[in-house]
Amino acid sequence: MVRARLATGGLALNRGRPTLAGMLDRKMTFVSGKGGVGKSAITASLALLAARRGLRVLVVGMVEGIGAGLHLATERLEYIPHRVRPGVTAMAVNRSDALDEYLRLQLHVPRAAPTKVLSRALSVLAETAPGIREIVTIGKPVYEMWQGKYDLVLVDAPPLGQLFSYLRAPTTIAELVPAGPIRAQAERMSSALADSEAVSLVLVATPDELPVLETQAVLERLDAEPVVNLEAVVANRILPELLLDEPDLATLPDGPHREAAEHHLAVLAQQSRWLDELPDGPRLPYLFGIHTPAEVAEQLADIWDGEQ
Amino acid sequence: MNPRVLVITGAGGVGKTTLSAALGVTAARMGLATCVMTVDPARRLASALGLESLDNHPEPVTAQPGLSAAMLDVSASWEAMVHRHAEPEVANRLLQDPFFRALADRFPAAQAYAAGEQMSEHVESRRWDLIVVDTPPAGGGLDFYTAPARMREVVGGRLLRWLTGASIPGRRALYKVTARPALRLADAVLGGPLLEEIAEFLLDLRSLYDGISRRSRAIDLHLREATSIVVTTAEPTPLREARRFFEELESGPGRPETVVFNKQLPESWTVSRNLRSPDIGTDVRIAARENLSRWAAEVRLQHEVKQEFVARYGLHLLEVPWVDRSPTSVDALAELLEGSPELVAHVLGPTSEDR
Repeated sequence: MVRARLATGGLALNRGRPTLAGMLDRKMTFVSGKGGVGKSAITASLALLAARRGLRVLVVGMVEGIGAGLHLATERLEYIPHRVRPGVTAMAVNRSDALDEYLRLQLHVPRAAPTKVLSRALSVLAETAPGIREIVTIGKPVYEMWQGKYDLVLVDAPPLGQLFSYLRAPTTIAELVPAGPIRAQAERMSSALADSEAVSLVLVATPDELPVLETQAVLERLDAEPVVNLEAVVANRILPELLLDEPDLATLPDGPHREAAEHHLAVLAQQSRWLDELPDGPRLPYLFGIHTPAEVAEQLADIWDGEQ
Repeated sequence: MNPRVLVITGAGGVGKTTLSAALGVTAARMGLATCVMTVDPARRLASALGLESLDNHPEPVTAQPGLSAAMLDVSASWEAMVHRHAEPEVANRLLQDPFFRALADRFPAAQAYAAGEQMSEHVESRRWDLIVVDTPPAGGGLDFYTAPARMREVVGGRLLRWLTGASIPGRRALYKVTARPALRLADAVLGGPLLEEIAEFLLDLRSLYDGISRRSRAIDLHLREATSIVVTTAEPTPLREARRFFEELESGPGRPETVVFNKQLPESWTVSRNLRSPDIGTDVRIAARENLSRWAAEVRLQHEVKQEFVARYGLHLLEVPWVDRSPTSVDALAELLEGSPELVAHVLGPTSEDR
């Protein structure tokens, strides 16, 4: 079937083990990266690509705000999933709805009993208590995966700085609570996240100093504590080679042509320096000029498609 | 007189730290006793300033007379804050509390608030003519402005009112008859003393309220007196965050009126020129033309984005050109601003009061 077909594919650009199939042929894939590296665009492009291949996809925005929705040409994602493209359904987690659902559907707290007290207590305490806000937020995509209504749940995850506190939340809670339904649920969730057959993480980085250093820090942390399986590190916005070398440049007169060529070479040099510091993985090109967010996602999906 | 304070805000990755350092170097060279307060600077920049082992205490930058630098140490700042505002016994209990550590590490405004406290300390020390504050990137930099109020809320707001069941502050006894029974019931369902422990912790935290309330209002005041500039690039993500400043921050003193677009490519690239010379090979010509037209599209995009942005919010626009190499010495930092005299005049020139 579709899954079997995908499993044989691989990215030509890909010089290492990670494959496009690895990102799509899961029940759930998290996409994260430092803010501004294009993680939401890449999440959206993977969703479009999966839909083209006949998968039923749910895109979950884990941070409130715009995120992947913008790239799927919808103004704002709601908590209730909406079909945004053929084959693509999208939603954004909002904390109070998620908390309510978490208590009712995941902890099976009886409606009559202290649900009201609980939900009030949790909602005020979630601001401060380690792990509660995070487990409630990450609980939503995990719940959708368990429900099995979609072939693939693609998660536009929080940026790198916060990623670990979300991915680790079930473990944190299991450590804090000695027994009972919260703990049982947290343990079930943390083993679901750690199931490398079902769940994977894709990190996006641009070949610049800060995104690369932050990515390396997360990779180290994942190494020490493999809460989720890392599928690939996607390098984004890679400049094309310039078909000119230094002697060629010397023949150009002073002015824009030469300046732009020098600029291009300088950025290329910087990129290759930082690219070397990233693990091998898929590479996506820099898209020049004016693109709307929706165009960016479509173009990236075309590029993935072409490389397959 | 209090020193002038220059607050540099914006999303992560737009070059805020580099610009702050460059402004610091430039100010020191103009003869101002300057302190740059930075957060987590990139490695090469750190070594340019000699910042290998910096902390909350400003140290002179050896390569640049007149300039000192400090680097925000969040956990040290929080520790100092607790000792300043709490009884010794409560302070020790708090500092050992796992919830407190989680709050200090993870509460989104924690770093921003710690930076605010440090800024106030440097302002009040009156050791400097100018303090340049490179703000933490959380919330696109907006957190730095909202953190004082949010800290007041965390240590004394809704949570505590709910726990004690009344607006009477500091009545720990009240909690025992109001929220505690409910929390115990909830904990029984959830399987552990989780909520009750959190509540106890929050009650300890409440004892910081008076200190933090006073301190945070002082930070607010310093922020209102500061000159603030928002730094962004023309890329969508930083720009979206910059937009929030002008949409979410109430207008009034302290609200940035200036936006600096960093990493700007030369507009001259958009003017098409012929490239004809017998010395240039055809392949070279084609490649150079193709390359220029790609970058010209970027320049046009940057231009459009900038104009739209400043027009919408009625801002003062300043630009800093793209540099191919990030500065690795104080000279290179100073050079960075040589192409932007307007920026230097705007933020380091005489203030309206001086004039």
